[in-house]
Amino acid sequence: MSGGKYMADGKNQSLFREKPIKVLLAKPGIDGHDRGVLVLAKAFRDAGMEVLYVGLLPTPEDVVDTAINEDVDVIALSLLNGAHLTVFRKVMDIMKNKGIDDISVVGGGTIPDEDKPELEALGISGNYGPGTPLSTIIEHVRMRAEEARIKKLR
Amino acid sequence: MPENDTFWKNKLMELEKRNSKPEGDKTAKWRKTTLQKWNSATGYEEKEYSNSSSIPIKDIYTDDILPENMDELLGLPGEYPFTRGVYPNMYRGKLWTMRMFSGFGSPEDTNRRLKYLISHGETGLSVAFDMPTLYAYDADNVRSQGEIGKCGVNVTSLKDMEVIFDGINLSEVTTSMTINAPAAILTAMYFAIAQKEGHDLRNIGGTVQADILKEYIAQKEWIYPPEGHIRIIRDMMSYCTKNAPKWNYISISGYHIREAGSSAVQELAFTLADGFYYVDMGIKEGLDVNEFAPRLSFFFNSSINFFEEIAKMRAARRIWATVLKEKFHATSQKAMTLRFHTQTSGYSLTWQQPLNNIIRTTIEAMAAILGGTQSLHTNSYDEAWALPSEEAVKVALRTQQILAEETGIIDTIDPLGGSYYIEYLTSKMEEEAYRYFEKIESLGGILEAVKKGYIQREIAATSYRRQKRLEDEKEIMVGVNKYVDPDEKPINILRIGKDAEEIQLKRIKEVKVGRDQDKVNDALAKLDEAFRNPDENVMPYIIEAVKTYATIEEISDVGRKIYGGWKEPVIV
Amino acid sequence: MTNIGDLVEGVVRSDRRSIARAISYMEDGHTEIKKEIMEKLYSHCGKAHVVGITGPPGIGKSTLIGNISVLLAQKGMNVSVLAVDASSPYSGGSLLGNRIRMQENLFNYGIYMRSLANRGARGGLSVSCMGAVNVLDASGSEIILIETVGAGQADLDIMNLADTTILVLGPGLGDQIQAIKAGIMEIADLFVINKMDIDGSYFAMKDIEEVISMDDPRGFRRRVTGTSATDHAGYDELVNTILDHGRYISGEGIIGRKRFLMGARWILESEIGRIIIDPAMDIIKKKGTDKNPYVLAENIISQLNAGVLKEL
Repeated sequence: MSGGKYMADGKNQSLFREKPIKVLLAKPGIDGHDRGVLVLAKAFRDAGMEVLYVGLLPTPEDVVDTAINEDVDVIALSLLNGAHLTVFRKVMDIMKNKGIDDISVVGGGTIPDEDKPELEALGISGNYGPGTPLSTIIEHVRMRAEEARIKKLR
Repeated sequence: MPENDTFWKNKLMELEKRNSKPEGDKTAKWRKTTLQKWNSATGYEEKEYSNSSSIPIKDIYTDDILPENMDELLGLPGEYPFTRGVYPNMYRGKLWTMRMFSGFGSPEDTNRRLKYLISHGETGLSVAFDMPTLYAYDADNVRSQGEIGKCGVNVTSLKDMEVIFDGINLSEVTTSMTINAPAAILTAMYFAIAQKEGHDLRNIGGTVQADILKEYIAQKEWIYPPEGHIRIIRDMMSYCTKNAPKWNYISISGYHIREAGSSAVQELAFTLADGFYYVDMGIKEGLDVNEFAPRLSFFFNSSINFFEEIAKMRAARRIWATVLKEKFHATSQKAMTLRFHTQTSGYSLTWQQPLNNIIRTTIEAMAAILGGTQSLHTNSYDEAWALPSEEAVKVALRTQQILAEETGIIDTIDPLGGSYYIEYLTSKMEEEAYRYFEKIESLGGILEAVKKGYIQREIAATSYRRQKRLEDEKEIMVGVNKYVDPDEKPINILRIGKDAEEIQLKRIKEVKVGRDQDKVNDALAKLDEAFRNPDENVMPYIIEAVKTYATIEEISDVGRKIYGGWKEPVIV
Repeated sequence: MTNIGDLVEGVVRSDRRSIARAISYMEDGHTEIKKEIMEKLYSHCGKAHVVGITGPPGIGKSTLIGNISVLLAQKGMNVSVLAVDASSPYSGGSLLGNRIRMQENLFNYGIYMRSLANRGARGGLSVSCMGAVNVLDASGSEIILIETVGAGQADLDIMNLADTTILVLGPGLGDQIQAIKAGIMEIADLFVINKMDIDGSYFAMKDIEEVISMDDPRGFRRRVTGTSATDHAGYDELVNTILDHGRYISGEGIIGRKRFLMGARWILESEIGRIIIDPAMDIIKKKGTDKNPYVLAENIISQLNAGVLKEL
């Protein structure tokens, strides 16, 4: 690559000395509302993260498989169809069965406040609704990525 | 759109010229003297204004920049090019239809809600479906777990439709069903009930959305690759034209394109481009454009930038009339009129301070009325959270009734017609839409542009740009990035329990036990044969299949075997 | 999983999590960790046929790889895919979009795929890639397909570790050859003209055939294959051509040769840097700008010249 504000040839490689956060964005249900995830994909990239978006209609199994193969730090789940309790739980169950505890899981979508404790208990944090500032979400993903990194180093 | 390649280019050039008239001496003088003096005396600093379509907004619009042929561009209500409205007397003759979207939970829940709305004076029914139904998965498919009844009502077999419309006379109502990929199946179910109850299909009125192009663009609820769906739409088009002339088999929808994050002008351009595709398809099928074009109706979004929305709707009518006449050679006035349903914007609503949503919806509803809509759905204030509660739906319906009966907004036709700003903006939106038509043409038409992901990427770029503007507070959403209320409490919302799922699982079990499996297999085999013969119309076979209580997934699987699934191009 | 022994053992067992984690170390780990893993893995390496696929962005490399990886898997081969995406030069972030273009096939055939961001690297990427290839080789992959971004020096470096280099082009070659790094035409073993259903592809085929007709007649005869995603044309031929080339280099005994040399060079360069250049620079840094830097460096070299290289 040439040009670029920070990466003129051979210069300032220090930007990359710290591993970028790797995040998998996924909508593991029957849900085509992708405005939010498409915005987040770009926002995460612009926050310096390496972003995988697996497209629409992956099964919970596909999501966990992708997360393992790509060795991501964070899985960010999104659903706007009201099925978050059922479907997010499926993802967590699969992770548990495979013994994966060094990938953090965050959630978002149309999630009522009263569902949040249940999701938190499953290990899914954030659970942000529409209108949440991108900066809040990015900060949260960074924090959860940090946790995953520490677990990976055990 | 292969023939007359230069049509879009020529139109675009004409509009560019039309919209580039300079300000006259009088305005220039005013700028130099009165305005400048005032600005320097008050220390005003120049700021840039623009709307969702990134069209720069000037501080003042004057008559000097308006097109020379204003009269011709406006026409009068009910006359070409219909800028001022599609009917001669507009709302004096007939108010818009107040059509409230409903459908949630179990078919029983929806049946109750429909009857409730009828008793409160609603003039047309509208049904929304849940995600499994929209993607044609049965209630007992493992992928449907947790999704049943959540975003609308679940329909797995004809049995469910029978419950939804129980006690409702199908000859007396019109029903709009928000269904796309499996639209032919739901239409078949509706027709099957009507026939069973002894109604003549010629008297059955209603609408299915069935706009598959916008699914690939925005809503992303598909079953097959475009070819499969387009085949089915073609068959529905010709079946309904012959047998159910009051059935609107397609509602060309910009609503979802806008909700997916597009600008107003993108909504306008992409929706009309979809419409032109269907017109072209009908003509290629050998249908007479004057006969089928009047059955095509539109569905637009009305968002929060008041004047931009009004201009969009006026521009839409003018573009449609012009293109139908000049490019597709329609001769009947009816074929050139663009009639549309409007829904207020869900995207503009906030979960923060939800009562503010009533105000937003009111303003958006006003824009739709001033834009000349034929029917209107007003969102409920709790829709940013979940499906609306009964109380919230009532407020939303009352909003329309207040606008219609208290405000005087309907007393005269197109009251903003002739406003310098509105007329300029209408013409400018039109120009920007033609710019997209020209680009789409250069990519090989709308279907190619969608397959290449161009349209989807344009929308995603706009959506991201807007989100960043909100972050930077260049755009304001009250309660979200300004006037934030720190001690907010959640509001009462309608929750869909597990009941719907249990009811649906139980019913599909009973249906599968109770039906004659040989008849089901036979009907599906015949449908398979029909699909494989491109000269056959699949509609009668789908109707026969639903009557045997074959499920939505079983019927769709016939096509899935032939056409396969669809993977969209990479958008980001 | 910081115990390198366990990690390597997991890789050899073909455990997906171990493979994935080992590749992460190759991407991000400290040089010492990379070296340790690569040293321990090496005895399990050397079987894989590494195929590098390059070509200008947007030419359809991902779809092509998705399709040929299935054909290879159907022949009973253990296939894996590495796909490199470009990083944003502004934020350093990346949208790893290649995966979505081919993932459906991957799930169905159990093919391991890993996305790597190029991170604007010059050289660094090729080391990560080499490491990832070694991990996959040790895990039992028989054929490893690498997709590159399609532009720049890093691409050429990655091609230097492939046993077979494929250049994918389309109709209208001129601009594409301008866009890709010069030199790739020379090192490519096979050519593909993708999008054969589009006008101009026939002439593109002819152009390439003309280029390769001037090749030295000894050795492997380079070939060009036409493919099309619309009607799945040409994939079988391409797969057979790839396997042919694999057999040819196996026969010549040069499979894995480039990786062998690249591995040695990597250690030499990083170690010489650490042992010699870093301390030498420390000495030079103490001098003022009144001194001539060229003479200072020459003086250090003449001090080192006391030692002489011997055969191993």
